[in-house]
Amino acid sequence: MKAIITVLMLFCAALSAEEMLQFRSDAERQLFHQLTAELRCPQCQNQNIADSNAIVAVDMRQKTYELVRQGQDRQQVLDYMINRYGDFVHYQPPLNRYTVWLWLTPVLLLLLLLGIGVYRRASQQANANTAADDGSDSAELDKLIARYRSKKP
Amino acid sequence: MRKVLFYIPLSLFLLLTLFLLSGLFSDPRERDSAVINKPLPAFALADLMQPEHIWTPEKLAGEVFLLNVWGTWCPTCNAELAYLAELRAQGVKIVGLYYELPRDPTFDAPFDLATLQQDVTQKLAQQGDPYQFNILDLQRTLSLDLGVSGAPETFIIDANGIVRAHHIGDINPMVWRGKLAAVYQQWSKP
Amino acid sequence: MIVEAGQLALTFAFALSVLLALVPLYGSYRASQPLLLMAKPLAIAQFVSCLLAMLALIYAFRSSDFTVINVAQNSSSTLPWYYQITASFGSHEGSMLLWVLMLAGWTALVAIFSKALPLLLQGRILAILGLINAGFIAFSLFMSNPFARSLPFFPVEGRDLNPLLQDFGMILHPPTLYMGYVGFAVAFAFAIAALMGGRFDSVWARWVRPWALAAWLFLTLGIMLGSWWAYNELGWGGWWFWDPVENASFMPWLAGTALIHSLAVTEKRGTFKSWTVLLALAAFALSLVGAFLVRSGVLVSVHSFATDPGRGLYLLVFLLLVIGGSLLLYGSRMHAVRSQARYKLFSREMLLWGNNIFLLTACFIVFLGTLFPLFHKELGLGSVSIGAPFFDQMFYYLSIPFALLLGLGPWVRWKQQQLSPLLSPLALVAVAALVLALGVMATLQSVQANLALMGLLLGAWVGMSALAEVMQRARQLGSVKQGLGKLNASHYGMTLAHIGFAVLVIGVAMTKTYTEERDVRMQAGDSVQLAGYQFTLTEVYPLNGANYGGQAAELDVSKDGHYVTHLHAEKRFYRIQRTIMTEAAVHARLSRDLYVSLGEELPGNAWALRIQVKPFVRWIWLGGLLMTAGALLSLLDKRYRRKQLAGAAQAGEQYA
Repeated sequence: MKAIITVLMLFCAALSAEEMLQFRSDAERQLFHQLTAELRCPQCQNQNIADSNAIVAVDMRQKTYELVRQGQDRQQVLDYMINRYGDFVHYQPPLNRYTVWLWLTPVLLLLLLLGIGVYRRASQQANANTAADDGSDSAELDKLIARYRSKKP
Repeated sequence: MRKVLFYIPLSLFLLLTLFLLSGLFSDPRERDSAVINKPLPAFALADLMQPEHIWTPEKLAGEVFLLNVWGTWCPTCNAELAYLAELRAQGVKIVGLYYELPRDPTFDAPFDLATLQQDVTQKLAQQGDPYQFNILDLQRTLSLDLGVSGAPETFIIDANGIVRAHHIGDINPMVWRGKLAAVYQQWSKP
Repeated sequence: MIVEAGQLALTFAFALSVLLALVPLYGSYRASQPLLLMAKPLAIAQFVSCLLAMLALIYAFRSSDFTVINVAQNSSSTLPWYYQITASFGSHEGSMLLWVLMLAGWTALVAIFSKALPLLLQGRILAILGLINAGFIAFSLFMSNPFARSLPFFPVEGRDLNPLLQDFGMILHPPTLYMGYVGFAVAFAFAIAALMGGRFDSVWARWVRPWALAAWLFLTLGIMLGSWWAYNELGWGGWWFWDPVENASFMPWLAGTALIHSLAVTEKRGTFKSWTVLLALAAFALSLVGAFLVRSGVLVSVHSFATDPGRGLYLLVFLLLVIGGSLLLYGSRMHAVRSQARYKLFSREMLLWGNNIFLLTACFIVFLGTLFPLFHKELGLGSVSIGAPFFDQMFYYLSIPFALLLGLGPWVRWKQQQLSPLLSPLALVAVAALVLALGVMATLQSVQANLALMGLLLGAWVGMSALAEVMQRARQLGSVKQGLGKLNASHYGMTLAHIGFAVLVIGVAMTKTYTEERDVRMQAGDSVQLAGYQFTLTEVYPLNGANYGGQAAELDVSKDGHYVTHLHAEKRFYRIQRTIMTEAAVHARLSRDLYVSLGEELPGNAWALRIQVKPFVRWIWLGGLLMTAGALLSLLDKRYRRKQLAGAAQAGEQYA
C-alpha cells in the first residue's frame, strides 16, 4: 500500500507547502486567476480553463501562467489566446458593430419600459372620465358578480 | 395602432423560433478557426522516427499538404487512418503532427521515445500509414499555436506555408468531398 | 411486468390528459355543467396515472432491471438505494416523466383547491393544463420513453449514475426546480382562461397570486439548491457559472418575480392588467424555452442532456403552438382591456413598475447573453462566447438602481405619496446603512471603494429599510407591540423576502471581493497559511466506497494557534463511469467557508490541493432561503384561504 502516508514528519516542525504556481505579487496571482476564469476551454462543453482538466485547458493554463510571469498584461494574454483560438475562447465578445447590440438593446429596453410607464400614467391623468376609483375589494366583487349574472347563457 | 402593439410579443417570439429552428440544424460546438490565411507559426520540432531531424516551417514549404493532428491514444484518429491512407494513395501529401499526452506520474510510465515509436509503427502497420513523416509535438506547443483543441484535427497548408483550412474532428469521405477537397484542389494548382 | 404497467399508466395518463383538454373546453362552449364538472376527476385521475408511472420507473431502478435501457444507462446494482431512486429522474427520459408528474400534480391541486372559482373558469384552466400536459406526455411516450426495453439483449450491469448526480443536493434539486418551472403553468392557464373570457380584475389577480407565489417559492428553492449542489459537488467552490442551463432557470425566475409584484398592483389597484397577463404568459413561456434549450442541444452547456434533433424539433413545434398560440390570443384580446386606476408619479404603482422594468431588463439580459452566441452564429458572423464577464458587469449596474428602489418601495403608499413624511426615516436608514457598511469593512480592515462596499451599502439599505418599514407600519396601527400582531402575514412575507435579497447581495459582493485561493503542493505534515488560517495536511489514504475508489486527505485547521476544525476532502474515482470527482471538504460558518479540494498526486508523495477561504458565501443561500420563507409566509396569509373567497364562490355557482 504505497499510497498510505502516515505522519512521518511528526518530529519536524510543520513544513510550509509551496504554491503550485509561484507568483511575484498578489496582483500577478489575481491576474492569473482572472484570466483563467474568463478564458473558455475550446474542447469542453462549457467550462473556463481554470475549472477544466481537459488537456488543452491545462496547456492554456500553463501558457497563461508563462505569459503572466513574462509580465504581459490582461489584454496581451487575451490577444495571444484569441489569435490562436478565435473570439470563441473569451467569455466576453469583442465590441464591434454587431456585438454592440448586446449592450445597447438592454439599455434601450430599459428606457422604453420607463417611457411606457410614464406615458401610461400621463395618459390616465389626461383621461378625466375615469370610473369610480375607490379600489375597494368589495366593490370589485359586486361588479364581478353582476357581470357573471348578466352573462348567464 | 394600439392593437398592433399587442402583437409585438408574438412577432418577437416568432423571430426567436426561426433562430432556434436554424440552431437545431447546426452544431453549437463547431467554431471557426483563427489561424486560416495565416502562415504556419514558427517552430522547430523533431521528426518522430528520426529525432535528429528537426522540422521547421521553411523545410515544409514547397507544395500543398495536409497536416493531421493525431495520436495512437485517440480512437477517432485511428479510425480515420485508413481513409487518410487512401487519400495518400491518390497522391495527397499528408504530414502527421503527433499530439502526445501529458503524463500523470501516478498512473503512467515516464515518456519514452522508443516505446512511442514502436506504438506508432505498430498502429500504422495495422490501420494503414497515410503519413510522409510525423512531427513529434511533445509539449503540444505547435498545437497550441495552431489553435488545436484536441485530436483529430487537420489543416491544409499551401505551398507558401499559409494555413488554408482547419478542420476539427475526423476526416471521412463526406468531410473530404464536401469541405476539404475543394480547398486542396484550389491551392495545389500551380 | 411492472415496467409494462408503468408504460400502460403513462398511456392512460396521455388519454386522460387529452380528455381533460377537450371535455371541459367543449363544455365551456356548450355551457354544459356536467361536462365542466368532469374536469376535476379527470385531473385527479391524470395525476394518479402519472404517479403510478413514476412509481413503476422507480421500481425498475430499485430492482436494477437492466433490460430497461434507461435503467441500464443510468444506474447500477452497486449504486446506493437512495441514488437508485434519484437516478430515476437523472436522465432525460426520467426527468421528462418527473416533469409530467409535477405538472399533473399542479393540475390536481388546482382541481382540488379551486372550489371558489366559477365553474367555467375552473374548467378552462384545467383544460389548458391538460392540453399542455398532453403535449409533454406525448413527448415522453413517443419521443423519449423512459420504459423502453432493450430485449432480447441486455447488459448484466448498468452504466451507473453520472457521479456528478450522486449527491444529496441532487435528491432535492430537480423535484423542487421542476415544481417551480411547471408551477408557472398554473398562472399561464389562469391567464389564458381569462383571455378566453375577456375578464381581468382584482378577483382574478387574487386567484392567481397564491399559485404564482407557490411556483416562485419552488423555483427559488430549486435554483438555490442547484447552486449549493454545484458548490459542493463540482469541487471548485463556484456557486453560479452563467451556464445556459442555469440561465434557463434564472429567466423564468426573473419573470416570475416581476409577475408576483405586478399581480400585487393588479389585485390592489386593478391596473397593469395587460402587463400582468403578459408576465404570466412569459414566466411559463420562459420555462418552456429553457426546457427546449436544455434538451434540444442548440446550446453548449455543462449539464445538458443527450440530445437528438427529433426531440428538439418536437419541442420547438410544441413551443410554437403553446407560446405562439397564447401570444396570438394575447394580441387579439388584450387590447380591448383598459385599466382605470389613477395614481401619481410618486406612488407604489410607479415604484412597482420600476421594480418590473429592472427585473424584465435583467431577464432580457440573461436571455440575450444566453442566445446571442446562437444568433451571432446563425447570422454567419462566427462563434463568440458570452459568460461571467458580461453578465457580472450588466448585473452590477442593474442591481444598484434596483436595490435603491427596493429599499424605497415598501414605504410608499398606493395612489400617491408625499415625499416629506418619508424623508426623515429614510435618511436615518441611509445613514445607518452607511455606518454599518463602513463598520463591517473596518472590522475586516479593508475600507476601500469596491464591490464589497457597494454590496454592503445596498444590502444594508434594503435590509434595514425593510425592517424599519415594518416598525413604522406597526406604530401606525397603535403601539409597536399591538401593530406587529395586526400586520398580516403577507406583509411579513414581503419583508422577509426583501431581507433575503439584501442578504444575498451582501453574500455575493463579499464572496466575490474577499475570496482567497491557493493551489498548493503538499506532503503529509506540510502546512499553508491563508487568510489567517493554517491548514495542515495530516494524511492521505486510499478510499474504498461502494461504487468508487480514490483518495482522501485529512487536514487540520487552526487559527492563531487554536484548533478550528478537521477537514476531510476526497478525490473519488467512479469505477463504472471511469470519472474522477472532487468531493471538497467544506467547513461552514456564517462569516466564512473553508473549502479544500484534493487534486492530483504529484511526484514525491505530494498532492495538489486547492485551498479557499470564502467569506460570507453562506449568505448567498441564506438569502435564497429567506426569500423562500418569505413566499411561504405570504402564502399563509388568510386572505388566500377559501372562506374569504366565498363571495366569488357564490358568483360561480350562480353562474354555473
